[in-house]
Amino acid sequence: MRVLVVEDEKKLAKALREGLETESYEVTVASTGEEGFFLANHDAFDLVVLDLMLPGRGGLEVLTTLRKRGLQTAVLILTAKDTVDDRVQGLDSGADDYLVKPFAFPELLARIRALLRRGRPDPALRLQLNDLTMDVMTRRVTRAGQPLELTVKEFELLEYLLRHVGHVVSREMLARDVWHVTARATPLDNVIDVTVARLRRKVDDPFETKLLHTVRGVGFVVRGGEG
Amino acid sequence: MPSVRWRLTLWHAGVLTLVICAFAAGIFGFVRARLYAALDRQVEADLATVETVYREETGDLGELAHRMGIAHFAVMEGSTIVYRTPGWPPSGPTPHRVRVLRESSHHIVAARDEATVRQTLWTLGIILVAGVPCAAGLAIWGGYFLAGRMLAPVATMAETARTITAESLSARLHVENERDEFGRLAHVFNDTLARLEAAFEELRRFTADASHELRTPLAAMRSVGEVALQRSLSGPAYREVIGSMLEEVSRLTHLVESLLTLTRGDSGRIQPNFEMVSLNSLVGSVADNLKVLAEEKEQALTIDAGSPVSVRCDPVILRQGLINLLDNAIKYTPRAGTIRLAVNQRRSGEVAIEVRDSGPGIAAVHQDRIFERFYRVDDARSRDQGGVGLGLATARWAVEANGGRVELESEQGRGALFRIVLPAPGG
Repeated sequence: MRVLVVEDEKKLAKALREGLETESYEVTVASTGEEGFFLANHDAFDLVVLDLMLPGRGGLEVLTTLRKRGLQTAVLILTAKDTVDDRVQGLDSGADDYLVKPFAFPELLARIRALLRRGRPDPALRLQLNDLTMDVMTRRVTRAGQPLELTVKEFELLEYLLRHVGHVVSREMLARDVWHVTARATPLDNVIDVTVARLRRKVDDPFETKLLHTVRGVGFVVRGGEG
Repeated sequence: MPSVRWRLTLWHAGVLTLVICAFAAGIFGFVRARLYAALDRQVEADLATVETVYREETGDLGELAHRMGIAHFAVMEGSTIVYRTPGWPPSGPTPHRVRVLRESSHHIVAARDEATVRQTLWTLGIILVAGVPCAAGLAIWGGYFLAGRMLAPVATMAETARTITAESLSARLHVENERDEFGRLAHVFNDTLARLEAAFEELRRFTADASHELRTPLAAMRSVGEVALQRSLSGPAYREVIGSMLEEVSRLTHLVESLLTLTRGDSGRIQPNFEMVSLNSLVGSVADNLKVLAEEKEQALTIDAGSPVSVRCDPVILRQGLINLLDNAIKYTPRAGTIRLAVNQRRSGEVAIEVRDSGPGIAAVHQDRIFERFYRVDDARSRDQGGVGLGLATARWAVEANGGRVELESEQGRGALFRIVLPAPGG
């Protein structure tokens, strides 16, 4: 998968390149609007990550021109402008998604995956990781054959983690997607931490292999095997 | 545009001059009419006298001029002149008032010189014409003096106001008379100054507090990073260090986002999306979200569900406010305490959401200020709880954005009751 990152802030561009390369994307970085426009026009990418405030040609202008020329590539806008108007303007200009800085890197990865996955069949109704299984329809969760009693929130949390298996999810993502609290300045971190701790007590504590891990300062991840 | 003082003076003098002119013209007209009327009466008296003498002693007519002082008259029978005074018909530089008495056999003509009347009117005219400019001059001088006296407080106020800057907002204007217009003006001005001073003070404290709050995580990040670089650590140890720094980053992010929310709320850039919302289900879902925190502290979190209540509000913003209040209650209520949520409609028609806790309560001295940004009752303890000191400020903003208010009832040691009061659903 080839990703074009148009970002003029050098440190952030470097972090994006390294982070995405770790996830096995092939990354090209452009540091001005013109360069980004040129690259997007002449090379085939699967996804463009676009900053809006760029020297020379602004991100929105680049995007509008690209869309006028018939470019179909998915575009994710990454910017510090976070008002509703900015978002609407960005999405109306042809962006597929919009992420506000400062963002959690796991969230960027999750959104990139979602954009690249688009058009694929519906999500699975049966999720499995090692000896942990979840049936989304019957809402049954078992580990090593034993049924686990989960509350509604714990179930939704585990489902979300299992759908992002192997990838870190941030607290912001959980607050928005599992707790459905969209206002950003809401104190939910404690709630999330407590719920994760309770889920862990049920899913991991009685068993040898731990599946649910905390990545300090970033978020949570479920992954099989050791590590 | 001339100064107010001059405008006042000119208006005053102008109006006064007009009045004086009208008055003078009136007097002149009145005196003139009276004088001529008197003259006419004299001429008629002359006619009567001449008539009497003519009827009784026609020969005595000549003496009339000397004895009675009737200078000009003539008596005619048809076209024959019976008698006429010397110099008849009268002539001279001034006209004469003439009266005729017609009888069947004769007629008498008498006349009197207008010179005296004219002389009197002329003198009066001179006096009036000379008096009006004098009076106008006096009016200008007096008006200017009076306007100066009246406007003196304005000059003083302007002088004081000129010296007031952002740094000296504590200065106030001197109020001479509380009840007159200038006193009220000075009062209004002083009130404005007081509000400005309070706003500036709040801004200053806010900036200081915000920098302090921003500096704390920055200092932690810096020390953790620098200390880690001094030593050679293993991979996992570095992960710990970076994780610790990232925790501070989320704290900073959270702080900046709370500040942004409040700032945008202040400048009216957040437009609430109103819809009919069931408060019971809103309260239920917020309690549902946060009940794990209460459970961890073995607190009893209950909802007194009254009859269903719906109001027009922005559910996202109101929810944010309620979460902040409930989070606060759970945070400051000790282990095994109780927290009660209630929704009810008040007699006034307003709708209230109550958050009552059995925590330590809030002393009266703090109650007014607890909703201020970064205000903390107990600095060290609050920080341990991980708050940034904006929770209640955010809650108040969220409720006010929905047209409501937050009330607080508390006594130290006896728990606290935060009440979100929203306008009546119908109004």
